[in-house]
Amino acid sequence: MAEEKDILSAAVEKQYSEGFVTDIEQEFVPKGLNEDIIRMISAKKGEPGWLLDFRLDAFRKWQRMTPPKWGHLSRLPEINFQDIIYYAAPMRDENRPKEIDPALQETFDKLGIPISEREVLAGVKSKVAVDAVFDSVSVNTTFRKTLAEKGIIFCSFSEAVREHPDLVQKYLATVVPAGDNFYAALNSAVFSDGSFCYIPKGVRCPMDLSSYFRINASGTGQFERTLIIADEGSSVSYMEGCTAPMRDENQLHAAVVEIIVEKDADVRYSTVQNWYPGDSRGRGGILNLVTKRGLCRGEGSHLSWTQVETGSAITWKYPSTILMGDNSCSEFYSVALTGNYQQADTGTKMIHIGRNTRSRIVSKGISAGYSENSYRGMVRMNPGAYGARNHSQCDSLLIGSRCGAHTFPVIRNSNPTAIVEHEATTSRISDEQLFYCTQRGISPEDAVGLIVGGYAREVLSRLPMEFAVEAQKLLSVNLEGSIG
Amino acid sequence: MDRFYRVGIDEVPKRLTLNEQEHLRLTFVVMPGVSAEIPFEINIGKEGVYLEIFGLYLCPHSERVKFDFTVRHLVGGSHSTQQFRGIVGGTARAEFDGLVYVAPDAQKTEAYQENHSILLSEGAVAETRPQLEIYADDVKCSHGATSGYLNPDELFYLRSRGISEVEARRLQMLSFISPVITHLPEDMKEQIIARI
Amino acid sequence: MNDLLEIRDLHAGIEGKEILHGINLSIKPGEVHAVMGPNGAGKSTLSAVLAGRPDYTVTSGSVTFGGRDLLAMKPEERSWAGIFLSFQYPIEIPGVSITNFMKAAVNARRKAKGELEIAPAQFLKLMKDKMAFVKMKGEFAKREVNVGFSGGEKKRGEIFQMAMLDPVLSILDETDSGLDVDALKVVADGVNALRSPEKSAIIITHYKHLLDLIAPDVVHVLKDGKIVATGGMELADMIETQGFDSIHG
Repeated sequence: MAEEKDILSAAVEKQYSEGFVTDIEQEFVPKGLNEDIIRMISAKKGEPGWLLDFRLDAFRKWQRMTPPKWGHLSRLPEINFQDIIYYAAPMRDENRPKEIDPALQETFDKLGIPISEREVLAGVKSKVAVDAVFDSVSVNTTFRKTLAEKGIIFCSFSEAVREHPDLVQKYLATVVPAGDNFYAALNSAVFSDGSFCYIPKGVRCPMDLSSYFRINASGTGQFERTLIIADEGSSVSYMEGCTAPMRDENQLHAAVVEIIVEKDADVRYSTVQNWYPGDSRGRGGILNLVTKRGLCRGEGSHLSWTQVETGSAITWKYPSTILMGDNSCSEFYSVALTGNYQQADTGTKMIHIGRNTRSRIVSKGISAGYSENSYRGMVRMNPGAYGARNHSQCDSLLIGSRCGAHTFPVIRNSNPTAIVEHEATTSRISDEQLFYCTQRGISPEDAVGLIVGGYAREVLSRLPMEFAVEAQKLLSVNLEGSIG
Repeated sequence: MDRFYRVGIDEVPKRLTLNEQEHLRLTFVVMPGVSAEIPFEINIGKEGVYLEIFGLYLCPHSERVKFDFTVRHLVGGSHSTQQFRGIVGGTARAEFDGLVYVAPDAQKTEAYQENHSILLSEGAVAETRPQLEIYADDVKCSHGATSGYLNPDELFYLRSRGISEVEARRLQMLSFISPVITHLPEDMKEQIIARI
Repeated sequence: MNDLLEIRDLHAGIEGKEILHGINLSIKPGEVHAVMGPNGAGKSTLSAVLAGRPDYTVTSGSVTFGGRDLLAMKPEERSWAGIFLSFQYPIEIPGVSITNFMKAAVNARRKAKGELEIAPAQFLKLMKDKMAFVKMKGEFAKREVNVGFSGGEKKRGEIFQMAMLDPVLSILDETDSGLDVDALKVVADGVNALRSPEKSAIIITHYKHLLDLIAPDVVHVLKDGKIVATGGMELADMIETQGFDSIHG
C-alpha cells in the first residue's frame, strides 16, 4: 500500500477557505525600511519618545546582524527587507471613529471571529474576549469594560502604550531583548500592533482572552507584538489564531510574544496557526518566523504552551520558558503538520534555573507530501537547578515516502540532582490500521484523518474546547490529498 | 565481528563504510584521565547489516570528552543500535552528538540510539544531542537519552543489607554501565571495573 | 434462491506465493458456514481476500456478492455492501475512541447510501444498546480502539462493531482463538442474536467448541489451499476426535 499511496497528484489543491482578500481602503507607508519609515510608523501611532527610541535602537542593532540560516529549512528564501511595506491599516472613517467598518465586520464574520460583543451576548458564540488585528492595526477589542471591572487590562498594544505606558515600559523587552535575534530585532523596530494583557494580583480572568491576526494587503509583512503579564496569584487562558489570503508571493510574519508569570500565577497560551501555507507546488505562503518566550519569574509560577501548527510555508519558532522561580513549571504541547512543500523547524527551550522546577515536552510532528518537519529543542539544567525534572516525548509520523521528519534535541545537565529524560520515535500510519478502518467502511482519506487525530490527541485535548474542534478540522482539511 | 577501541590508546578509525552483509559490533571506551574528541562516521550501504555500537565514558576528574557519531543508512533493510553510557564527576564535561540519518527510500531500516549519563558532582556537565534525520517512512527509528543520578532507594536497599555506602555506589555504577560492557573480553572488563 | 456469495475457482496468494488453489464456495442468505482447517491451510487468506486486503493478489477466479463483482470493489465499498470482517488480530488505533471510530463508520455507510449523518441522540442509543449486547460497560465507549484490550475484550469488541454496523455477511476469522469459556459464550450469543433469513456468516476456526454454540448449516474443511470436504457437523466431530489428517479430499 505504501507504493500505491502516491503523495501528491499535482492537481490536488488543499482547500484554504480563508484565502480571500478583503476589498477595503487602506493606507500604507512607503515600501522599504529605514529610520524615516520607523519614525513615520511611530508618528502614525502617536507614540511617546521613549518608544521611538526603543525602535530606533533595535533597528540599529538589526542593521548589524545577518539573517540566521541554521534551520533545517532548505526552502527559506532570501528575503529582500527593502521590498516590504511595514505598515498597512484600514482607513478609519473620521466621523465615526468608534464604529467598525462593515467590510471588516464582514471579514471577521466570514472567518468566524466574533469581533463585536452582541454576537457573544446573544449566546451565538461562547464567551471569549477578542482582540482582532487586521494588517497593522487592532480593529476592536471586545469585553474591555467587563474585564476592566476586575482590574484586567486587555487591549491592543497601541492602546496600552497610550493608556498604560508605565506598565508597558516596565515589561517590554524584559523577556525578549531587542538584540536577542535577527527577527526579534526587526520586530522591535517595526512592530505594528498586537495584544496587551495584564491580570492583577489574585485575579482569575473570568473569560478566555484571544487575539486573531489577519493579514490582508499584499506586499506587506505583519509584525505583531504581544505582552502578557500575570501578576502574583493570577490566572488567564489566552488563545491566538491567524489566517491570510492566498497569494503567489511569500509574506513575512515576524512576531514577538513576551509572557511574564509572577509568583503562583498561571498562564495557558494556545495557538492554532493557520497561515496560508502556499499552494501544492510550494508557491507563496506565509513565512512564520516568531520569537515567543515566557519567564516564570515567581515561585510556583506556571506557563503552558499548546500549539497546533498547520499553516505557513515556513514555520520557525521555539516557544520557550525560563524557569527562574523555584518550583515553577512549564509544559509545551505541540502538533505540527506539514504537507506539500511546507517546512517547519519548531520546538521549545526549557531553561531550568530555579530549584525543583519542572518541564514537560510533548511534540507530535506529522509530515506528508514533500515537506520537512523538524523538532528542535533545548533542555538546560543550570548548576542551581537542584531537584529539577524534565520529560520530553517527541514523535514523528510520516505519511508517504517523499517527506522528512527530524528530531534535534539538545540536553545539557549541569546539576547532579536534576533528571532529564528524552524519547523520540518515528513511525508511519500502518497498512494494518488503514485496512482496519476501510474494512469498517471508512474511506482511506477519512481514515488518515482519524488516525492522525488520534495520534495528536494528547495535544489537541489540551486546547480550549472550540479551538480543539477547529484544530481537529484543520488537521483533516490539511491532510486531504496527502494519500491516494 | 567485534572491535574494541580504547580511546587515547588504540587508534580509532574516523570513517567506516559497510558494503557487506555483516554483524559488526564496535565498542569505544574512554577511561578516567582521558580527554578526547571522537569523530566517527559509519555509512551503511547494504541491506542485511546488523550494527551495534557501544560507548562507555568514565570522567571522574576534569576530563573533556566529546563523541561526534554519525550513522547513515544509505539503503534500507539494515539494523543499527547505539548505546552510550557514562559517569561524569569532578568538573568533567561529557558531550554526545549522535546523528542517525535514513536516506530517502531506505525502507525497512531499524535504527535505535540511547545515551545515558550519571552526574556525580556539582561542576560536572553532561550534554547530549541525539539527532534523527529521516527521509523514508517504512522504518522504525527511535532514540532515548537520560541524565540523572544513581537511585537513592536502591542505594538504601544495598546499605540495609550491610553493604558500605562506597561499595553500594560502586555496585550501582557497575550495574549502570553493564549493558555496554557485558560483551567485552574478560581482561578489558576487569580493567574497567577496577576503575569504578 | 440466489446465492448471496459465490466463490468460483478462486486462486489467490501473497508476495508471489499462491495460497488458495481454486476455492469453490456458495452461501445462501440466512446460512452460516464454518470453514475449518489446520494452520497454513489458507483460512486467513480466504477472509483477507473476501474483505479486500491490499497486499493479497487474486490470480484467477471470481467472487460474486449479491450479484456484484466483489473483487472489483474497494474494501470500504465491500463494507458498505454489507461485508464485515471480525479480525483475528484487531489492531490498535491510539488516541481514537470507540465512539469516534464507530461514528465515522456509521456515517460513512450512510453517506454512501445518500443518507444524512446519524443524529447524536440516536447514535448514543445505538451505542448503548450494542454495548449491553456484548456485556460491555459504559466506559468502553471512551476507550481507545483496541488499546490495552485483553484478548477477550478485543473479540467482544469485534462483535460489538459487527452489531453496530449490521452486516449482511459476517466473516469471523478465528474469533475463538485465545478465548475463555465466558468470552466464547458472549461471542456465540452475539453471533446467534444477529442471525436472520437475510444474513449469513462464515465462521473460520480450528476448533469445534464455537461451532457447538453456533450450529452452522454447512461445514467445509480447508487444507493446503483447497476445500477437501463439505458436510455437516459430523465433519467437525471427526476433526475433533481424529484430527485434520482424517479428512481426505
